[in-house]
Amino acid sequence: MKRLGMLLSSLVVAGTLAISSAEAQQVTLDVLYAFPAFAKFHEPIAQEFMKLHPDIKIAFRAPAPTYDDGHQTMMRQAVTNQLPDVYYSGFHLLSELARTLAKRNQIVDLDPLLAADSKEFRAKNYSDRIVALGRVDGKLYGLPFNASSPIMYYNVELVKKAGGDPEKMPDNWDAVIALAAKIKAGSSDVAGLAYNVHDWPDVWLYHAMITQAGGTVVDGDRVPLGGPDIGVQTLQRFRRFVSEDGMPLIDWDQSRQQFIAGKIGIFFDTPARLRQVTDLIGDKFTLKTAIFPIDNKAKGGLPTGGNAAIITTQDPKKQKAAWEFLKFVTGPEAQKIVVETTGYLPTNLRATGPEFLGPFYDKNPNFRTVSLQVDRSVPWQGYPGGNSVRIWRAQREIITGIMRGEIEPKAGYERLIKETADLMKSQ
Amino acid sequence: MMASAVAIAAPVPVVRRDRQRLIEKLAGCGFAFPAFLLLLLTNLVPLAVLLYLSFTNYELGALDTRFLGLDNFRKAVTDPVLRRSLANTFVYVAIVLPGAVGLGLLIAVLLHRRKRTRTFYEVVYFLPVTSTLIAMATVWQFILHPNLGPVNGMLRAMGFGEIAFLSEPAYVLPTLAAIGIWQLVGFNMVLFLAGLSAIPRDLYEAAEIDGCRSGIDRFLTITWPLLGPTTMFVIITTSITAFKVFDTVAVMTRGGPMGSSEVLLYAIYLEGYQYFHMGYAAALTLIFLAFVLLFSILQTFVLERRVHY
Amino acid sequence: MDTHLPSPHPSPGGRGRSPVGTLARRAATLFVVHGILIAGAVFILLPFVWMLITSIKSPAEIFAVDFSLWPKHFNAVENYGFALQKVPLLRFAANGVIVCAGILLIQLLVAIPCAYALAKLRFPGRTALFALVLMGLCIPIQVPALPLYMGLAQVGLLNTYFAIMMPFFLSVFAIFLFRQFFKSYPDEIIHAARLDGMSEFEIVWLIVVPSAWPAIAAFSVFSIVAHWNDLYWPLIVISDTHLATPPLGMMFFADAETGSNYGALTAAATVLTAPLVVAFLIARRRFIEGITMTGIK
Repeated sequence: MKRLGMLLSSLVVAGTLAISSAEAQQVTLDVLYAFPAFAKFHEPIAQEFMKLHPDIKIAFRAPAPTYDDGHQTMMRQAVTNQLPDVYYSGFHLLSELARTLAKRNQIVDLDPLLAADSKEFRAKNYSDRIVALGRVDGKLYGLPFNASSPIMYYNVELVKKAGGDPEKMPDNWDAVIALAAKIKAGSSDVAGLAYNVHDWPDVWLYHAMITQAGGTVVDGDRVPLGGPDIGVQTLQRFRRFVSEDGMPLIDWDQSRQQFIAGKIGIFFDTPARLRQVTDLIGDKFTLKTAIFPIDNKAKGGLPTGGNAAIITTQDPKKQKAAWEFLKFVTGPEAQKIVVETTGYLPTNLRATGPEFLGPFYDKNPNFRTVSLQVDRSVPWQGYPGGNSVRIWRAQREIITGIMRGEIEPKAGYERLIKETADLMKSQ
Repeated sequence: MMASAVAIAAPVPVVRRDRQRLIEKLAGCGFAFPAFLLLLLTNLVPLAVLLYLSFTNYELGALDTRFLGLDNFRKAVTDPVLRRSLANTFVYVAIVLPGAVGLGLLIAVLLHRRKRTRTFYEVVYFLPVTSTLIAMATVWQFILHPNLGPVNGMLRAMGFGEIAFLSEPAYVLPTLAAIGIWQLVGFNMVLFLAGLSAIPRDLYEAAEIDGCRSGIDRFLTITWPLLGPTTMFVIITTSITAFKVFDTVAVMTRGGPMGSSEVLLYAIYLEGYQYFHMGYAAALTLIFLAFVLLFSILQTFVLERRVHY
Repeated sequence: MDTHLPSPHPSPGGRGRSPVGTLARRAATLFVVHGILIAGAVFILLPFVWMLITSIKSPAEIFAVDFSLWPKHFNAVENYGFALQKVPLLRFAANGVIVCAGILLIQLLVAIPCAYALAKLRFPGRTALFALVLMGLCIPIQVPALPLYMGLAQVGLLNTYFAIMMPFFLSVFAIFLFRQFFKSYPDEIIHAARLDGMSEFEIVWLIVVPSAWPAIAAFSVFSIVAHWNDLYWPLIVISDTHLATPPLGMMFFADAETGSNYGALTAAATVLTAPLVVAFLIARRRFIEGITMTGIK
């Protein structure tokens, strides 16, 4: 209540200050983010920032329910000129949003701002791979704030019962499928694994399986979806999850609930839920996490989910303030708060160090897992043409059909290629 | 003397009638005016805007739009996704309409005569109407969970296999329809109760004297005919509400699995707000409206003829 | 010659059977009636029972397979406390009250005269208006949402209570509902009142409306409940949290990315549903029961 009271009163203060801005050195930044539950790190971070910068006030708008809703809000507000000053855009929607706003001169290029700070600052804090996630058409429009790549959650007791070694989980897919089959065989109502690509709201888990094998999803204007080898193998693998490992083809929430109840052995999901899943499991069983199996150790990569902060305000004073804010939220102190409350991958290199997350990771090793994959991060691309959401829905239906055994993987791959190409053209 | 009295008597009622008609006309227009104004502002003008949009290829946030003529409508007619969503919507309505109206009527009739238990049951049956979907969605997911939920637990105890209510294409629409009925029963019950309470008690007493004694007799001779206007209202509003189904699909199934729960409004929502094809979505919206309007007008005129006032 | 005459004191069954027989029939009827009612009630209550139980459970117990109705660790204080503190739930409830009251008031003021006109008065454009009303029933809020949003943005009225309420001022549902009720109101009474010199305005508000209390009460409850739980439109027009309505508030606990705090979510849902149940209880007791008891008709 106190924290909220402080926030509310700072909102009121921000309001009155904004009005009497004549003599004010004060700048108020309107900030919008998605997923209301993220208030648990956005608000403490804003508090810390305002302590360090008393001349800047952070005012949060009512958060959007999802990345897609936030994206729609931004589009609407671009048209009616009511954009917030700072917005956290989901990576997969960043290029669409940035291109639209750039055409209307409503977004700020961050390269000059980043270049103004010393090269050491940049090298110490931001890895090239992470910064690349915020690039659109060569320009840096977003500074990555939350990042995640899929990880493996597993039930230690079920793995042991199947003869596996919880300390050395398999690191390639055939081995994982074999282990999961043993888990399924060991109990009557337990499923070996769950990989909920059939109910995922976007292409993340689908692309992950392709890129980890070194396949290419998007190649300029073409969309090979991994090519005939990796592409078909990916689909066959999805089918094997169901036929050999007993994966239940249910809603992703129900699937997670089943894992939490101890009825699924291995579960692939976003690390962002680690905190929630840990709490819900309690002491029903021992939860551990491991890195995502990579078949192609040389070239394999993982699409990075999450969001990047963009600046839309055209007021130079506000832009300066916004840049300070962006640097702070992607700084080690703020990233520490993010990781402790969720399970995300920190986007700051210093954050994993001993002065910040080191001790936390030591006490909660499950949270460290995702940071071990940071070198495998690849940008998560939408399909060219801006029809990504539609295309994924069509692809997902085919993938579900394959997993249900109603479509053969090879035929399914042909259909995927054709329908994707058709939908891309119809733009 | 007689003649003049008659001569004077004749014009007065005529003048009164004309004046009465004028008052009626003025009052009618005046009473209806605020409603008409709001109708214009909140329904007709937006519809006109949508009409304009449906002839373009407007995308949200775009700076320029192109005029497309009837292309959007032509595309809609051959769109398999649209046809599927139409079929899904019809199935949904076909289950919800008899279920929600019939159950609502049954409960209302059963409750109407109770004295001590009536408040309790009324509150219980009305609870779903007050529920917020965001919270209920999680609850339903758990209750219907194939592995963990109580419904399947019961099915297993009775010897049947598990049913993935929300994940099997064949089951998802009936499941959503059952939830839709769950949401509407209390609503219709209250409407029927209001209608039942407007039926004068003495009619029942008179009927009893006339020899109509059993409950069913009473219902068929008195209750049902006098409930006419209410029933008509409930049928029309229930079917329109069923046609407009959106929230449960958006929150619980998101159109899945494999598009088997994609209903009309959800398909339109996807076009406009997820793919941002506002022009096409506008065209689809107009088609949707045409369907529902036709359906309701048909219902109104068919039912109105059978209803006694 | 000896026709069967009904007994001087007809028993409730009215057929002159033995008292024991009628008692048995009565019991059987009651058994069937309550049987049906209770079966239905179970179907209705099942989700609420789970909701309430979840709101007092600790996170670890919520998705346990050994489904026990009674929690082992009581987390009620934490869940409800979290729900009430982390988020200004009471503020959202207050907003709900303001928005719903405002909407209901205007709805009644606009719909009742219009319904009366459609039911009892002849005026030019009557059928056209009724057709438009029917059409309005078919229009969900998603349809005019975008144009309305842009219009409100133009006049600078976004992010206000007015913006939340405005699209709902006209309730075609109310017009349709009241029209049905008014249509069955006896014309003779209206004619008599007219002859007495009452204006149409007085007739509507002083004579016809009191007879339609059940319908008005029923509608009020629906309106309040529907707009209390409105999510779609407030989501579009509000960007300040202190204007948020209850469902927007609940979104704070229901999150697709980092997962839901189910205990707090169901606690918040309980807190925010309670006022609606209370409103329902008040409405029905006041109007519906009162009317049938006094037997106005």
